[in-house]
Amino acid sequence: MKLLRKTVYHISRLVLAAVFIYAGVVKANDVVDFAGQIANYQILPYAWNYLIASILPYLELLCGILLLLNMRIRPAVLVLFVLNIIFMLALSSAIIRGLDIDCGCFKPGAANPTSPLTALWRDVGLLVLLVATWVLRDLRHPMEAD
Amino acid sequence: MNSLFLSPSMRRIFLEVLILCVLSATVGLSLNFKLIFRVFSGKSVAPAVSNSAETSEGTIVAADAIDAFPIPIELVDLDELLSAGALLIDARSFHSYQQEHLAGALSLPFADFANQIEKFKQLIPVDQTLITYCSGYGCPDSFDLGVRLIQEGYLDVLVYEGGLPEWKDAGRALEGANQ
Repeated sequence: MKLLRKTVYHISRLVLAAVFIYAGVVKANDVVDFAGQIANYQILPYAWNYLIASILPYLELLCGILLLLNMRIRPAVLVLFVLNIIFMLALSSAIIRGLDIDCGCFKPGAANPTSPLTALWRDVGLLVLLVATWVLRDLRHPMEAD
Repeated sequence: MNSLFLSPSMRRIFLEVLILCVLSATVGLSLNFKLIFRVFSGKSVAPAVSNSAETSEGTIVAADAIDAFPIPIELVDLDELLSAGALLIDARSFHSYQQEHLAGALSLPFADFANQIEKFKQLIPVDQTLITYCSGYGCPDSFDLGVRLIQEGYLDVLVYEGGLPEWKDAGRALEGANQ
C-alpha cells in the first residue's frame, strides 16, 4: 500500500511537472500571442492581458521545475491549484458567453486549437492530480499539530 | 487554536507561495519590461512587423527608422472613431472578406498589398483615418498592413486588435455572403 501511494505520488508529480514546464516554456516563448489568447476571453482590460502574459508562464515554469525536482511540493501545488481554479472559471465564463476561442492553455496559435469545453475537462484532470499530489505528499510529511 | 490555516506549516507554505509569485513576477517583468512599457504607454506591440518593407515606388524603407507603428485601439474606441469618419480596412484575404466582414469595411489583403496599394491610394486620401483589422489578437496581418500604410504616407493609421472575432462576439453588424 505504501509502495502504491509512493508510485502514485511520483507519477502525479512528474506528469504535472511535464505539463506545466511545457506550458510555461511555450507561453514564455511568445508572450504577445499568449496575451492575445488571454484577451480573447474578454475579461481583463487591454494592457493587463500583457501583464498577466508576462508573469504567468514563469509561475507555471517555476512550479513545474519544483515538482520535477521534488522540492517545495506543497507551495508549488497550491499555486497551481489556485491557477487551475482561475483557468476553470475563465473557461466556464467563455462557455457561458458562447465564445468560440482557443483556450490558450499551451502553444499560442496552435494548428489544432482546443475548445474551452475540452480544456475544462483537461483542467479537471489536472485538479485531480494536484489534489492527489498534495494529499500523498501530506501523508509522507504530515503537518505538525499546533 | 488548532485551525489548519494558522498552523506553522501552513504559514510557511503561504510564505513560500508568496515568494514563488514574487520571483515569477520579477523574472517575467524583467524579461518583458519593454513590451509592458509599450503597452501601458499606449503604444503598439507590433508583433510580426518585418524590419524593412518595399513601398509601391520600390524603395526599401526600414520600419525602425520611421517608427511606423499603428496605434492599437479597442472595441470601445471604435464607435467614436467610425462616427468621426474613420474607415475600416480588412487585412484578410479577399475570399475571407467576401464571406463576412465588419460592416462598412474595405478589403486590402496584406498578402496582395503590393498589387493593390496604388489603386487604394487613388481611392483613399492620405489624411483619411484608417483602422486595420484581421482575425483577432493572434493575427499579425492588421499590424503589418498598418505599418505598410504608414510607409505609403497615410497619416492616421490605427489597428483594431480584437478584429472580426471580438466584433462578432459583441453582436456588431457584419456584411458578406454568410450574412
